[in-house]
Amino acid sequence: MNDWWWVSTVAFGIGLGTPLAFATIGEIITERAGILNLGVQGTMLVGAVAGFWATFNTGSLFLGVITAIVAGAAVSIIHAVLSITLRVNQIVSGLALTLFGTGLASFLGKVGSDPLVGEPSRATFEPIIEGGIAEWPLVGPLVLGHDILVYVGVVTAAAASYYLFRSKLGLAVRAVGEDPASAESAGINVSRVRYIHVLIGGSLSGLGGAYFALALVPTWQDDPIGAAGWIAIALVILASWRPWRALFVAYAFGFAQFLELRLQTLGEPWNGIPSTLLAMIPFVLAIIAMIVFASGKRARFLGAPAALGIPYFREQR
Amino acid sequence: MAGRRLIVEPRGLASPLLLVMVPLASVFAALVLGAIFLALTGENPGEVYGKMVDAAFGDGRGISETLISATPLILTGLAAAVAFKMLVWNIGAEGQFLFGAIFAAGAGIWLGDGTPAAIAMPLVIVAGAIGGAFWASFAAVPRVYLGTNEIITTLMLNFIALNFMNYLIFGSNSPWRDPGVSTFPQGRPVPDAARIPEFFNRLDYGIIIAAFIAIAVYVLMDKSRWGFEVRVVGDSAETGRYAGIGVPRKILGVFLLSGALAGLGGSLFVAGPVGALDPRSLDLGLGFTGIIVAALARLNPLAIVPVAVLMGALNNSGPALQSIGVPPETVTMLQGAILIFAVAGEFFIANRVRRPELEPTGSSAAEAAA
Repeated sequence: MNDWWWVSTVAFGIGLGTPLAFATIGEIITERAGILNLGVQGTMLVGAVAGFWATFNTGSLFLGVITAIVAGAAVSIIHAVLSITLRVNQIVSGLALTLFGTGLASFLGKVGSDPLVGEPSRATFEPIIEGGIAEWPLVGPLVLGHDILVYVGVVTAAAASYYLFRSKLGLAVRAVGEDPASAESAGINVSRVRYIHVLIGGSLSGLGGAYFALALVPTWQDDPIGAAGWIAIALVILASWRPWRALFVAYAFGFAQFLELRLQTLGEPWNGIPSTLLAMIPFVLAIIAMIVFASGKRARFLGAPAALGIPYFREQR
Repeated sequence: MAGRRLIVEPRGLASPLLLVMVPLASVFAALVLGAIFLALTGENPGEVYGKMVDAAFGDGRGISETLISATPLILTGLAAAVAFKMLVWNIGAEGQFLFGAIFAAGAGIWLGDGTPAAIAMPLVIVAGAIGGAFWASFAAVPRVYLGTNEIITTLMLNFIALNFMNYLIFGSNSPWRDPGVSTFPQGRPVPDAARIPEFFNRLDYGIIIAAFIAIAVYVLMDKSRWGFEVRVVGDSAETGRYAGIGVPRKILGVFLLSGALAGLGGSLFVAGPVGALDPRSLDLGLGFTGIIVAALARLNPLAIVPVAVLMGALNNSGPALQSIGVPPETVTMLQGAILIFAVAGEFFIANRVRRPELEPTGSSAAEAAA
């Protein structure tokens, strides 16, 4: 395998990219309905602590994942109420959710006489196939050697893509994101559609957070997800609001992040590259992509929903 | 569907009492929510809040530490307020603050020990403003000339700035790094001449400078022609164009001013309590907290000062909670809750909610529906 270090780097990149894919696809679904949710980082952290807590207490990974999904949806209700019902500024509302969720996750991890912090998870996600075909060259590590959630991620991308672009419901969602007034006159309940899709986005963010706590970093620590929630918001643009592309940009970023660690172990001259500079690359790429591909009218061309971030006043039709 | 639904209608001008009561009510509601969380997890809310007040205001040292924490928050709060007023969504105060700190520390180190305080101190402080505006320009110029959404670019620039600061200290032998310390890398101290003098425990005159800047921003935004034009454009870019205001230049100006204010926060922090480009003292989310400060102060530059003191008190009281076994992040959670209630309160400032009258007849029913 040593000669194939880049194969294992890609394989690990897929693992690191999977939580990003969940959160990015979730945010795409939310934004397609016209709501910008900057609360992804906080939602992921709440999902992470909730999933870790449930698995820690029950030993069940399934219950951990379900709890994370429910917790992610539950905290994103805050953003839904503020931005849809109360029509406040979505940027401030999303930041409020991130701040609250970050504090809440740390708080829940540390509070009480027997805190979670420092505890290893009672169960972790492992590859579903060990040995045998999972050791075949190339296909083994790249395709067959992953844990179940990696495949759930692929299915999620396929399902989200079908839902948004091939189904009648998805057409309604995109109509709400493009032109809510027309959608409303076509008989679509704009507020309801937006509520549902903020919650779907939140549940996928929660799931992404749980993947960190139950697969990537299976010991509870204060900040298990790094800046994943913020990266996901950038990936939405790089994926031009399309779920399949989200899966692949997320894998690419996972690969870049793992490469950053890998370079340190490769010896001269690779280990001379400061990791702090490598860590900037995703963000620099996102900005360049924003400027080159998503400036002004091009953002529409790329797929940005026209009504993204704009509160909808039913009375003002 | 008519009948049981509440009626929401825009409330022209809100009364001054309401403008004060809503933020106070949101702080109170957040404290109640926090108390519920604390009680559910087996802590004593009264003891926790008592400890927090004691840590923040209990003695001279507490008060001075609270005001030290408030100083950068006044500046990052002003940065957010100035930008948001014109619907410029600069959420990059965090990165602009860090670049202010990088420029300020760089200027101090470059000037060296021989420079008199009368020159070194103003130069270091101004260098921070330039650094903040410089970092803001990477989002401001694409926004103004290409129409690039600044929310995402400013957000991304925060992480680049953070990694760049870490690179200067941890990843390289830059002039910012202290060559005398070989174990754990640290920032090289800026010369004493560039440091703002202290007058009350560790509290330096930075708090006074920050308060004066708040007044200056108030005068600029509310009393000057420039500020008037900014408010016109903020209300409607279309109106601004018809009134002959150069809208792109106004947006650029506001964006760079916002960056400069955040950068000043960085330089006051470096020239004040921190004294070096020290990542552990600077990477505290002060730019993000500034957005809460601005939102709670309803973008009013003068109200930002007391709100920043409140947030500084909260920041400062977090570590004290550890001594009674309560996570310091309780404070972050409370700040988030305060912001959630404050933005929800905006709705009640802007709108009046009332019950529909029973069995509305004829014309009044039509009015209610309109």
